[in-house]
Formats: sequence, C-alpha cells, structure tokens
Amino acid sequence: MTAGGGRVWAGAGRAVFAATAVFALIFPLLAGTYYVRLATGIYMFGLLASAWNLIGGYTGYPDFGGAAYLGIGAYTTGILMVRAHTPFGAALGAGCLLAAVVAVLMGSLLLRLRGHYFAIATLGFLLVLQQLAANLDITGGGSGMNLPVASTFTTFYYWMLGALVLAVAAGWALPRVRVGYALAAIRENQDAAQVLGITPLPFKIIAYAGNALLFGAAGGIYAYWFTFIDPPTVFNVDFTIQAVVMTLFGGPGTAAGPVVGAVILKSLDTVLTNRSVFFHNIFFGALVCVLVIFAPRGVAEIARTRGSLLRAVRAELGASRL
Amino acid sequence: MSVQTQIALQNALNGLLIGGTYATVALGFSLVWGILNVVNLAHGALVMLGAYTTYWLFTLFGVDPFLSLPLTGAALFVFGYCVQRGIINQVMRAPFLITFLLTFGLELLITNIAQAAWTADFRSVTTVYSGRSLSVGPLTLPIVRGASLLIAFVVAILLHVLLTRTRLGTAIRATASDQEAARLMGIPIARVYAITFGIAAASAGVAGGLISLSFPVFPAMGAGYTLIGFVVCVLGGLGSVPGALLGGLLLGLLQTYAASWLGPNYDNIVAFSALILVLLVRPAGLLGRVQRFRG
Amino acid sequence: MPLFSGLGLVKLFGRVVAVDRVDLTIEPGEIVGLIGPNGAGKSTLVNLITGLEHPTEGRLEFAGHALAGLPPPVIARLGIARTFQIAQPFRNMTVRQNVAVPALFRADPAPDVRAALRDADVVLDTVGLGPKRDLPARALTTPDLRRLELAKALALHPRLMLLDEVMAGLTPAEVDQAMSLLREVHARGIALLVIEHVLRAVMGLCRRVIVLHHGRKIAEGAPAQVTADAAVIQAYLGARSLPSTP
Repeated sequence: MTAGGGRVWAGAGRAVFAATAVFALIFPLLAGTYYVRLATGIYMFGLLASAWNLIGGYTGYPDFGGAAYLGIGAYTTGILMVRAHTPFGAALGAGCLLAAVVAVLMGSLLLRLRGHYFAIATLGFLLVLQQLAANLDITGGGSGMNLPVASTFTTFYYWMLGALVLAVAAGWALPRVRVGYALAAIRENQDAAQVLGITPLPFKIIAYAGNALLFGAAGGIYAYWFTFIDPPTVFNVDFTIQAVVMTLFGGPGTAAGPVVGAVILKSLDTVLTNRSVFFHNIFFGALVCVLVIFAPRGVAEIARTRGSLLRAVRAELGASRL
Repeated sequence: MSVQTQIALQNALNGLLIGGTYATVALGFSLVWGILNVVNLAHGALVMLGAYTTYWLFTLFGVDPFLSLPLTGAALFVFGYCVQRGIINQVMRAPFLITFLLTFGLELLITNIAQAAWTADFRSVTTVYSGRSLSVGPLTLPIVRGASLLIAFVVAILLHVLLTRTRLGTAIRATASDQEAARLMGIPIARVYAITFGIAAASAGVAGGLISLSFPVFPAMGAGYTLIGFVVCVLGGLGSVPGALLGGLLLGLLQTYAASWLGPNYDNIVAFSALILVLLVRPAGLLGRVQRFRG
Repeated sequence: MPLFSGLGLVKLFGRVVAVDRVDLTIEPGEIVGLIGPNGAGKSTLVNLITGLEHPTEGRLEFAGHALAGLPPPVIARLGIARTFQIAQPFRNMTVRQNVAVPALFRADPAPDVRAALRDADVVLDTVGLGPKRDLPARALTTPDLRRLELAKALALHPRLMLLDEVMAGLTPAEVDQAMSLLREVHARGIALLVIEHVLRAVMGLCRRVIVLHHGRKIAEGAPAQVTADAAVIQAYLGARSLPSTP
C-alpha cells in the first residue's frame, strides 16, 4: 500500500483493462498452439508472482517454500484423478483446499519466525516435502506419476487465466480491506502494530494460506497440463525464485507489478531458452544481479520517478551502498 | 564387542568425519552471515571453485591436494574480496531480501560460467593414498577423511584466533556489533567487510579442496553445501566458530544415524526437520547469541 | 477504584534491576507525571504496563482486568495506548492510513475501512495534521511525527494514555502547543501518564508527579512539592536546586 496509488483506474485505464480482458478471453481462437502455450506459461508465473507478493512483498515475510504448496496441489490433483477418477475441477479444488489447510498449520509455526530464519525454515519445509514425496508409494515415489491426458489444450489456458485473475484480484483488494491494513502495519512495524491492537499471527496466516492456495492451484493445473510430475520438478524452489524476481522487476507495491514482471521476464526467458539453457541461466543470473543493485524497488518504481532514469538509479545506489 | 555396538561406533565415527567437512563448509557461511548479515547463497559456488582449483592444480601441475590448500585458500580470498568489494558492497544497506537475491544471482552466474568452462563432467582427485584406511580397533578410518577432520579443526582454530586475538579480528567483531560506532572510530568498514568475505571465501575454498578428495567435483555441486551451511548455522548458532564446529559435527552424526536407521533417502527430511525444530525452540542455535536481523 | 494499579513491580534484566518494587496507581481521568534521570526505569515501566515486557514480580490491573501475561494487542484493546519515545510510524503508509489502523483494530472498531478513514480524518484535525493527511508518513517532520503518534494513540479510544517523552526536542512554542493539545485530550476523560524531562510541561499539566531513580520511587506528590524534595534534587544533579526549565 503506497501513498498516491489509485490514479491508475482513471477512465482510460478502465478502457485498456476491458480491452485486455476481452483479448485474453478470445486469444485461443486467434493464435496458434505455440502462443497459447506461451501465454499459459506466462499466466502461471504471473499467478505465482502475484501470490508470492501477498506474503512476501505486501506482508514482508519472504517465503521461499511456496513450491511446497505447488507440489501439494499437483500431487493431490494427480492422485485424485488417477486413483479416485475425480474430474479435474474437483481434484483441483481439493488440492487447493489441502494446500491451504497445510499452510494454516505450518504457518502457525513458521510465521513466528522472522527475516532470514523464516526464509530458511520455509525452504526447509519445501525440501522435506520433496524428499517425502520421493519416498512414498502413493505419490509414485521418485519415478513420479502420470496424469490422464486432457482432450484439448485450451482447457489449461482458461484455468490458468482464471487462477491468475483470482490472484491479481486478491492483490488488488488487499490494500483496501481491513486484513490488508493489518498486514501493511505488520510489514511496516510489527511491534507498533501490536500496541495498536493487532494480533499479528492470524493475519499473517491468512496471507500465507492465500499464497498457498494460489500456488496449489498453479500446481494442480500444471500437473494436468504436463501430464507428468515428479518430486524435483514440482517441489522446486526455482518457481519461487522466478516469482520473486518477477515481482521485484515489476514492483511489489501494486497488484499489476508482479504480472508485468512475469510477462516481460517470461517472454524474454522463452526467447533465450530457445537458444540454450546456459544462455538462460547466465541471463537470469546477470539480470538478478543488475536488478537488485540498480532497481531494487522494481522497474515500475523507476518508471514512476520523475526526472531521469539515471538519477533514480543513482539514488538507489546511494541509499544501498555502504 | 557386539556387532550392534560396532556398527553404532562406526556410524559415530563416520558422522564425525563427514561432520568435520560440514563444519569447514559452514565456517565461512556463518562468518558472512554473522558479521555482514548477508546470507550468501553463492557460498556453495565458492566451495565448488575451491574444489576445481585443487583439481586443476593437481591435474595440471601435480600439486598434492593437501599441500595446495593454502594456494586454493589464497586464490579464493582474492576472489571473495573482489566480489564483496565490487558487487555485494553495493547493497549492504538494502533490505535483506535484496542481498539474498543478489547472492542467488551470483550463484547462477558462477555455476553456469563454470559449467561452460569445464563441462558438467564429474571429476575427482585421486591420489596414491586416496583409498587407504587405518584400523582403529574394530573401526575403519579412511585416511583422507581423517586428515580432513584434522584440517577442519585447524581452520576453525585459526579462524577463532584471528577473530579473538588479532587487531583485524577485533575490527571485524566491532563492525559486526555496531557498524556506525565502528565507522566513527575510524575502522574502514567497507574494507573490513571485504576482508571478512575474503576469509570466508578462503575457508570455503579449503573446504572445497578437502571435498574434492572424497566426493565428485562438478559445477552444480555447490547448492547442497549452501544448504548444509544453513542447517549448521541454525543448529550451532551464528557468528560462532565453536558453534559452526558443533553444528557441523551434530549434523554429520544426525545424517549418518538417520541414513543407517531410515535409509539414505531421509537425509534431507531429518536435516530440515531438525532445522525447523531448532528454529522454533531455540532460534539462536545451540551456542549462538540472539541475532539482530535486518528487514 | 483506581483505573490502573501496578503493585510491587519488579523487573530484572539478568542482574540489572530496572524496576525496583514500584507501586503506581492512576485514577480515572487523572494526569500523572513520571519523571527521573535517564536510566531511571521509566521506559521499562511503560513496557511493563503495555505488555512488551513481563514483570519479574508484581501485579498489574487495569479497569478490573489483571494484565499479567496478556499480549500487547489485548492490552491495547482494553484501553491502554502509548506513544513511543522514538516515533514508530508506518513509514510507507499515508498519515491517514496510519491513523486508520488503530481505528480498525480497537475494541469498538470502525465497521469498515471507509469509516475508519473518516474516523482518522477527525482525529487528524484534532491534532492539527489534517492538511498533511495524504502524505506518506516518512515525509513528516519530527514534531509532526509526534502528533501522528498522538493521533494513533487517540484513535485507539483509550482510557489511559502513556506519553513517553512527547516533548523531547521541541521548541518552547511547540511545547506550549503540545501542552494545550494534551489538555484537550484530557478533557475527553482520558487519563494520562506523562513521562517527561521537560519539567515545565510536567508542572503545567500534572496534578501528581512520581519520581523514579535507579528503578525505585523516591518521591510522589504535587509538582511543587516534589521538585523541592531534597532527594529528587540530589538524584538529578547532586546539587542544591533544579535548573530552570528549558
């Protein structure tokens, strides 16, 4: 919640928004399979980035274990579809629900930690689940599991789009409701928030569970889309890292920032990965370094600064450098 | 003695031996975290560079890996100093998420450049004495691992002496304790941070060199060691050399016993469950002081 | 029956005795002053009352509720508000949003965000920050930050306000303004515990003054009486009279 935001939704903004919405809905009718897939991938990362922003950016609790819930969503969806012949929608719902429940339980423990310790603990949880999934039979162990094949691809496009809209809506609504005020206060100064009547833990759990539900949704759709999942693929910290970088790139202060970051970076990423994985990693690594040094509050913040880009960058350096 | 006891004792020995390696890996990590308040996700990459340095010195010039350790340490010191002074220094005052991501980016760069330069093939450093073991009563003690444990202690002692009995060490600890006050007293904190990081990189390099004798060397090997650094620091406490030692040995024992009872596929589950437990019950670690965190 | 009573309060930090068997009562609607040299234990006492620290010994009661072991948010909702010595604003939120926070989380909360913001506007006008309501809190000057602290405490609808050195660093004119503001607040029936070094404010506002030194209460009574007390003068200066106030 930053001061001065909200001018975005002027008349012109609404028109653009409506146009984008219509475009997104009819896109599969216009474009070929390759582009529909690309868009679905972008939506997925927009979803993950927006979800991460709820707990990481907005509440200030950098969660690095979000993929734990992506995995829970993926495997729950898979197991129900394969063993209980549950239709996708219901299986996905169950996956999201389970992810949220686990998040409430784990969150009530982990959210008592702060800063670095919270970050590592969440990562630890992710790794525990990854290894657990590799050891259990019901998940197919280390060999992974196969899901039924869907009839058309566009199913995933719309499911992912829907989940993305949900995530962005949550990010948009949060600063405007009571829970959002509590979380912002917690982010800014948790001790001051407490003496003003806020009991932090329940609110933090809400943000954390929201993040988990959305990661779970992404996981369930991903599982059905790729028809094969195994522990290292879904319980993979890389999802979170990308979500964080995209959020930082686009700016964590707005609901649109993470999505903007996802669109730009995922597109670039796809172009580069087509060259080679090495290229992709080098680009990504260099990008992260450059980004955090020169533009830690995101490109959006820089764009918003009056005056030259150079001055904004210098200001950032001045503030952060020893 | 019974077979049970023998197995238990061998496990204990193996645990201590591997724990010594963990401790050496974690020393540098703990130093950077405790003193600079930076969680260095590229630490494992530094270990990897140390391993490759030892490998190449051995393969190209025939330098014995134990003898080349000081060289590896020096090389990594210079590298670490430059990286901190030039890159990480830019974000020392930013919220910790920023430095977290920066070191992550560095890790990606270092690992991938290494892969481009040296391919992903597994290498190993095999000397004349690599496979030999000593018999200590009913137990087997591989020579290389035993020597590694000894060196781990030596490095820990050196580091401890440096921190507590030299002027540099006092400057380092003062800066960690109160950056502003240290600066006001004329301590060149940018340089102190760079030296500290250099020392940490050197110890990571030495750890890498020791590792190259017993484990395969490949560009992606670092990530696992960064994680180990985390767990050891949480178990033993930050900014504490004895803590890193204790934490490392403890983790080594935990993992070895877990592997022995539950099977090899439970090592992460055990390690990280222990980590979460310790964080919840005693966040400062077994020997650590309560750490002021930033952001 | 007193609004607040702390009996036999002791707080140890290791072997350091920060608060040493202090008794403190505050009647409803009273203005009580708390003075003492630096390190006397005043802030620790405030932390004990608001739940940020737990007393090693002693009992705390507020409006019939025992405060022992209650977490700070619960104590805040019971009706005890505090300002911090070093202002603790929510830096990246607007002034208005800052004050809306307590309006949303007090015991009788505003029904929704919009109502809370309107509530905040009223409070901000009271403390004189109305024109700056849409500025980010990080853009405020120190005196304004103090007003913001006060506004946030007010928005909590407290019955007791603990004011931790709100006058520190203010010019004499600003002190006057602050004093009249506090009188307005008091006129609403809110009891005040004024922790201060600025003696003019203490003399001008408080009916009763308590003096702390090395964690112990060394004097209690009307301001004129207390400032003439030999033990008090000794504690502050080891001299024969108090300096004229700034």
